[in-house]
Amino acid sequence: MDLLEEYIKSGRIKLNTHKYHETFTVHDPCNYVRKSVMIYNDSPNNGEKCRWIAQQCIDPSLYREMCDDPLNNFCCGAGGGAWAMPYDQERLDYGKVKVDQIRDTGAELVIAPCHNCRDQILKGLGAEHKKKTPGFDMGNYQETLYLWELVANCLEYEPWSQEEIDAAHAARDAQFERDGIELEEE
Amino acid sequence: MDQAVEVKRKDRKIPVGPEMADRCYTCGTCGGGCPATGLVPGWDARKAIRAIVFGMEQEVIDSKWPWVCTLCGRCQYQCPMGIQLMKTFRACRTARDRDKVPGPIHKGTMMNLERGNNLGIPRDDFLFLLADLGVEMENDEEQPCPGFYVPVDKEGANIITTINSKEPFGEPDDMKFWWRIFYAAKEDFTVSSTNWEGVNWGLFSGDDPAWKEQVGRVIENARRLKCKTILYPE
Repeated sequence: MDLLEEYIKSGRIKLNTHKYHETFTVHDPCNYVRKSVMIYNDSPNNGEKCRWIAQQCIDPSLYREMCDDPLNNFCCGAGGGAWAMPYDQERLDYGKVKVDQIRDTGAELVIAPCHNCRDQILKGLGAEHKKKTPGFDMGNYQETLYLWELVANCLEYEPWSQEEIDAAHAARDAQFERDGIELEEE
Repeated sequence: MDQAVEVKRKDRKIPVGPEMADRCYTCGTCGGGCPATGLVPGWDARKAIRAIVFGMEQEVIDSKWPWVCTLCGRCQYQCPMGIQLMKTFRACRTARDRDKVPGPIHKGTMMNLERGNNLGIPRDDFLFLLADLGVEMENDEEQPCPGFYVPVDKEGANIITTINSKEPFGEPDDMKFWWRIFYAAKEDFTVSSTNWEGVNWGLFSGDDPAWKEQVGRVIENARRLKCKTILYPE
């Protein structure tokens, strides 16, 4: 997140804000937002950083707040290894709090800056919503994106120079030779 | 329970002092604000903490509670008396026999210690996949990235990034999001050919030595390759 913020602020990457026209909200992963403060004494503003980055990608007028106190936002329900554990029903029921939060925002896109939260909201809660399982009505919800997926999809690319491309090809070929990689020609 | 329970500090599996019984107000802030309340019959955060300080820790260790709790830390963050709930529930996971850890997180941890990632992806398969995806990105129809490849074991790179093994295993195209950002930013990055796993299941299974070992490997990779910054895109 710090890196994405730095890239955007320094102008190293440029973003097209017209790729997405959906309303969007941001989920706060416990590990980035609350636990980084509790355990590493990290910045208490990580939730704000996520919101800022997302709003550099999509017009801020489309932003819908999920929780105005990121440090006290709720877990998605799949944290702490729960995504991999055999307690699926408990994991989904835990996520009903998140379902209600998402529904109440009215947002169509949920931005999740964490692998685990994204899987829970997309493949766990989102799938139940789309199956119309009672208790999993997420309102206008359509899709969950990683924060870095959103950024990647909004990139404006500045072309590399021929010298840069040639240097990269030479470095790549040397690496493939070192590692014994032989790709079939297209 | 008819008999009084005698709590001896030295016999405890969970490192909490019995004086915590007096510190906890039993206000219920923890359980009241917890989405897991009501999911495990008989248990919630407040009851589990009370049981532990009263010496009934084995009952909590044997229950599903410490595993349905996601260790999100909200209870501990809000506790007006500073009770270390999250830390204590993780300690309950640590106290479980390893063959009774639910799901794949213990097996994955052992796999990681043995082969360098939770899913046991062999080195050659991994390197071939990265090479192949690089070529795909370079020639992508919608947005080609001429000159792109995934630098492996590149000494002196600015950033070394870990990989979540679920991506090379099942969702390889998802690795391209970060790579596209690196390409646009002209970032000097690299991936280690070994011990590249970014998901530390030792943290979640309560296995402290494995947790530490995995963190150490990530740092060792950065030192070996003389990289300034470690990126954990988790």
